[in-house]
Amino acid sequence: MLSRRSFLTMSSALSGAIITAPSWATLAQQNAGKKLYASAYSLNKQEHFFGLFDEKGEMIWDTKLLDRAHAPVVHPNQSIVGIVARRPGFFMDFFDVSTHQNIMRIEPTQDHHFYGHALFTTDGKRLITQENHYPSGQGKIFVREWPSGQVVQSFSSNGIGPHESVLLNDQVLVITNGGLMTHPDEDRKILNLDTMKPNVTYLNLKDGSVLNQSGNNDELHQLSIRHLDVNQHGTVALGFQYQGAMWDQVPLVALSRIDQEELEYLPIPEEVRVRFKQYCGSVCFDNSGEILAISTPRGGLVAYWHVGSKTFLGVENCRDVCGLVATDNAHEFLLTSGIGSQLTSNPVQKVSKVIKKHPDLHWDNHLRQINT
Amino acid sequence: MKYLPKLIALAISASTPLLASAGQWEGPLNGIVANVVKQGYESYSESSKTLQQRTDALCASPSKTTLHDAQEAFQTNALDWQQVQWLNFGPVTYFMRYYAFEYWPDKKGVTQRQLRALAQGDPAVMDAPKFWTSASIAVRGLTAIESLLYHPDFEPTQSVEHCRLLGKVTAHHLESANAVAKQWQDGKAQDWVFDEEGTGFDPEKVALELFLQQWIEHMSAVKDAKLETPIGYNSRENLKLAEFYRSDLSLRAIQKNLQSYREIYHAGSPSLYEIAKQTNPALAEQFEEQLTQNIKLALQLPSDFFHADYTQEARVALAKPLVKSISNSQSYLASMVTQLGFQIGFNSRDGD
Repeated sequence: MLSRRSFLTMSSALSGAIITAPSWATLAQQNAGKKLYASAYSLNKQEHFFGLFDEKGEMIWDTKLLDRAHAPVVHPNQSIVGIVARRPGFFMDFFDVSTHQNIMRIEPTQDHHFYGHALFTTDGKRLITQENHYPSGQGKIFVREWPSGQVVQSFSSNGIGPHESVLLNDQVLVITNGGLMTHPDEDRKILNLDTMKPNVTYLNLKDGSVLNQSGNNDELHQLSIRHLDVNQHGTVALGFQYQGAMWDQVPLVALSRIDQEELEYLPIPEEVRVRFKQYCGSVCFDNSGEILAISTPRGGLVAYWHVGSKTFLGVENCRDVCGLVATDNAHEFLLTSGIGSQLTSNPVQKVSKVIKKHPDLHWDNHLRQINT
Repeated sequence: MKYLPKLIALAISASTPLLASAGQWEGPLNGIVANVVKQGYESYSESSKTLQQRTDALCASPSKTTLHDAQEAFQTNALDWQQVQWLNFGPVTYFMRYYAFEYWPDKKGVTQRQLRALAQGDPAVMDAPKFWTSASIAVRGLTAIESLLYHPDFEPTQSVEHCRLLGKVTAHHLESANAVAKQWQDGKAQDWVFDEEGTGFDPEKVALELFLQQWIEHMSAVKDAKLETPIGYNSRENLKLAEFYRSDLSLRAIQKNLQSYREIYHAGSPSLYEIAKQTNPALAEQFEEQLTQNIKLALQLPSDFFHADYTQEARVALAKPLVKSISNSQSYLASMVTQLGFQIGFNSRDGD
């Protein structure tokens, strides 16, 4: 495994590369109507990859990675996808989908590591990452110019452990500060279990000011707010991972809004809640924004809610499932699992279909659609 | 799309095309269920009954002798639990029974606090129809019973309230143990597997896979939570974190767990051991030897290991061979299970 220090000493020979990738629109003309999905995967503990597959689940391209990765990042215009190293992450590799060439590697600045997630601004001119300044343990948001990779802004995430963030609009970034303080010298060991205080922060990207911040009450301070998604109505969905006892009855899913002080916990039937084993994986709204899906690999299921009525709809059972993305069809999701399955699931029509199974590989935590 | 768990059909009908692996895992799965789980819960249920009878006798005639008898019954019952503790699956998952049977580790003393409140309150509330189904898991099982029998805050031979509370908890505990034992007698492991979309779904294999995942997880818990953490193997020592520390069962519980591992490995015909020998004889034997070594090393530890006045350093040195041995077992088991075609969990074991 690549050590942090050995990696940091590598020169970023690729930085400054000229990005000549065609637009998604151009690529779409070449591959009429083809939908692509991106995800990291592993064959075993030593062999890690990043791959693209089509709507039939067929792998169309893959490449070996230095280490296990976490979430893909898709450029909004250019045919470029990236993959972020898993926490504590020290690389982000970017690829030109038209040529499948590795075009760039971005590393964190000194004394920082990535959390496994990143995103582009809607115009594609900036790349936003959540990072840990590990000497202090403070969460940071870095804004880099694309494609130079130069840091143009950095803000406090206003919490510890900023795991994932999404754009509410061009000016507002919504961040889940998971609350877990870690240091890469101690891998993923939680150093502040007794004092952790996760929050969701609405950050003004112009000046780094906090527009809204919510959290759980003190009794639930070990309820890490980890993943999120936002729909077209500005509703933010949050998935939690509880660091306390397995038997504690805690909420695991909540909704938030920029103009709302408190988190609004969504109902889960108790027999389903216990199956979550205190752990939410991915959080995802469907294409219409009406349906929320939350995966739990430990529970082996994806749970669904109707967002408007805050009604629990049911579950799709799938062992080791974690990857979750909305398809172009309203109410439909694509799911990937650690046992290699890819399936579509529509909780409104109550239909699901396995599209492919790759029994020799383990799809990693997060899945993204490439909108060509 | 399924909301409620779907009970899988009891057998694959003759008209159903046979799956490639249909029946392949019947031997070990049925063997483990019959010899380890069903028998284990039967013993647990019986010793829960003895415990309840002894606490009744204690409350009817409080004395050192009847207290000792009740404590003895508790110890037998708590050790019977160790036989089935590795499997948090099936009937024991209902009503949080698994965590209610043993609320551990109770780092904040929740059990004592809640027991004190119950002992001071109106005992009639415990007779309400739904009291125990909604009661805190901290006061519903062995951890609570151990406190009432061993913790200095409770004096069942002196206090009618404490003894009455003990009687109520043991009665509920017996009811839960009986319910789980009966559900296992009436059903099978495949009934508790959640059906999934897609062809080739084999409930037998999925059930056994869940068993194996739980076994691997339990092995980690024995090494980490039961052995390393209380003795401060990697950090500060806190012996009170040992399992059943007050009743001095911490070491015997580990020994019992390790013995149950060999039973799991050899249960059924063919057993996992026999199947593994066909696939990778060397690994199958290595694992067998390591399981035997675990038991031997655990039995070699001094019986007062968790209680005598050893220094932390001395205790860690004594534990080191066993820690290493269990660690090797974990690796062998994970490799063996993977080679047999089971998934040990990817995102579920190591997500973020």
